[in-house]
Amino acid sequence: MEHIDGLYRTALRLTRNPADAEDLVQETYLRAFRFRDRFQPGSNLRAWLFKILSNAAISRFRHVSHETGDTSLDDMGEFDLYAHVVDPGGSLGESAENTALNSILDVDVRRALEELPEPFRLAVILSDVEGFSYKEIADMLDIPLGTVMSRLFRGRRILRNKLDEYARSPVQPSEGKGS
Amino acid sequence: MNCREVLVRLDQFVDRELNPEEVREVQQHLDDCPPCQHMYRYEARVRRLVRHACSELAPASLRARILHKQD
Repeated sequence: MEHIDGLYRTALRLTRNPADAEDLVQETYLRAFRFRDRFQPGSNLRAWLFKILSNAAISRFRHVSHETGDTSLDDMGEFDLYAHVVDPGGSLGESAENTALNSILDVDVRRALEELPEPFRLAVILSDVEGFSYKEIADMLDIPLGTVMSRLFRGRRILRNKLDEYARSPVQPSEGKGS
Repeated sequence: MNCREVLVRLDQFVDRELNPEEVREVQQHLDDCPPCQHMYRYEARVRRLVRHACSELAPASLRARILHKQD
């Protein structure tokens, strides 16, 4: 079970709680075991396990929420998306931005990720955390390469905006501190 | 490549999804353009933050439960 840690943290981000994450990982392994005949020896076992996890997660989302798709977002051309890229000649607030990141905590990053809408969250996790290639993610989620790229682009933009927001907002000492 | 062409490829550059020729061109531009270099560093830094924040390990009890179920 050398891939269990990656599967578990992906499941954690997707389900947002440890008990559901454990269920999802367990379901993934049980499905993999049941359908092991479908695995082609020599192909990428890790990618196959993540594909099973993604499918299981997506079918859960469809049951519990209305986040059923992102067609309208996927329909946006890549050119439209990239048109939002910051003008490099503009004022970047360089040092301010980098300094702001210094105050970001792991818990903020995890919260920001978990707040991303589902299709973006999954793509960003698979790429940024687990390091899968665009092609692997496209195969895993059965979506075109361009859709992977647009989901990553959109997801990362939302993520950065949230991180920026957290970095600018003052620490809330009362939050979560019961005694 | 100009700034716009580089920024459009920045995600792919960080993700190592460009072909060697494009990598060379983007790298060349970054070497000479501090604002784009800043964007690149920012992107790379956020990637590291995200990866670092998500480094949980699966509980031993989960491993045990799965192994048990597969018996």
